[in-house]
Amino acid sequence: MVKQFAEWLSTTSPSVFIQNHNGWVIPAIQSIHIIGIAAVFGSVFMIYLRILGWAGMDQTLRQTTSRFGPWLTGGLWLMLVTGVLMVLGEPVRELVTFSFWLKMLLVAVSTVIATVFLVAVRGHDQQWEERLIKRRSIQGLAILTFLIWVCIIILGRLIAYDHIWGPWSPATKA
Amino acid sequence: MLIDIEALLKSDALLKALEASGLATRIRDSVFLFPMIESTHVIGLALVVGTIAIIDLRLLGIASTHRSFQRMASDILKWTWGAFALTALTGSLMFITNASVYYHNFYFRTKMLLLALTGINMLFFELSAGRTIHNWDTAPSAPRAGKAVAVLSLAMWIGIICVGRLIGFTTSRAAVAPPPPAGVSFDDFLGAPADGGATQSTPAPHK
Repeated sequence: MVKQFAEWLSTTSPSVFIQNHNGWVIPAIQSIHIIGIAAVFGSVFMIYLRILGWAGMDQTLRQTTSRFGPWLTGGLWLMLVTGVLMVLGEPVRELVTFSFWLKMLLVAVSTVIATVFLVAVRGHDQQWEERLIKRRSIQGLAILTFLIWVCIIILGRLIAYDHIWGPWSPATKA
Repeated sequence: MLIDIEALLKSDALLKALEASGLATRIRDSVFLFPMIESTHVIGLALVVGTIAIIDLRLLGIASTHRSFQRMASDILKWTWGAFALTALTGSLMFITNASVYYHNFYFRTKMLLLALTGINMLFFELSAGRTIHNWDTAPSAPRAGKAVAVLSLAMWIGIICVGRLIGFTTSRAAVAPPPPAGVSFDDFLGAPADGGATQSTPAPHK
């Protein structure tokens, strides 16, 4: 099903355009995607360090999230756009992999967590500053979601090496 | 001339020895070591570039303008250096698996040159705006020299990401087959002998 969709997608005109210019278009899109990773991962990193009390302690949590939240959101949009372009450029290489779909699942999970967190801090400022941020459970959740972002980056790179999943990879069957 | 050739042979012998080392062989023979090292490299570079951008945007007066620059720098730069160490380590591990190919690759050389230039840029900052830090520590932006350093830093790091990605496209087994034209050798630029292109080595098996 996915394979047929990917093959159909590769015949559409935007996809054909990228394929015809793949010498520089694909490296360029991938580079912009990595710049997006730097913006998103750098932002979540600073927020996690603040939650754990390892950096930015001269700033309140609210100040930290309003400093890095917009860069996190902006970076995610940039990655969505460049990600869609990469799928358009190489539909079969991207879509017919185990890594891609596991990555998408984790992206969905961590985007929901990030959004809920940013909204919660905005709504209940004082509670977060005084009590919630010091809870072990919140700090543990911060570490867990940070590790999810780490896995997302690894899975993104593994799309190029999907055969390492062995029988789990649809690419090895095809 | 004789000395040049000798030096060149020696440098290639070193590269071949790196490729033949137990560590390099182990990484090449493993299905998942290289991809995991490469992923760790991406994680490290995202933190390096992400945290450096925070500092550069502060210098330019674009973000974090209300924070003390010194406080911010001492808060953040230790993480930058930690991430840089991780990136350098994983980069070296990737390099040794195919050293002679990377060494002669145009984009690899450009990346190393840009890395060296970011170091010089940093040094220039310490000698210029860095000397008067107490005058502008809490000002919304740095003096002109500091802003110039920030713009150069952002531009060079973006450049490093781009040429870094291009290394992967030009050193894989398929891409390496036709050797690059001798005319675009980067050797002249780096002061190596001009006939460096003649020593184009055959690529080691690479995953």
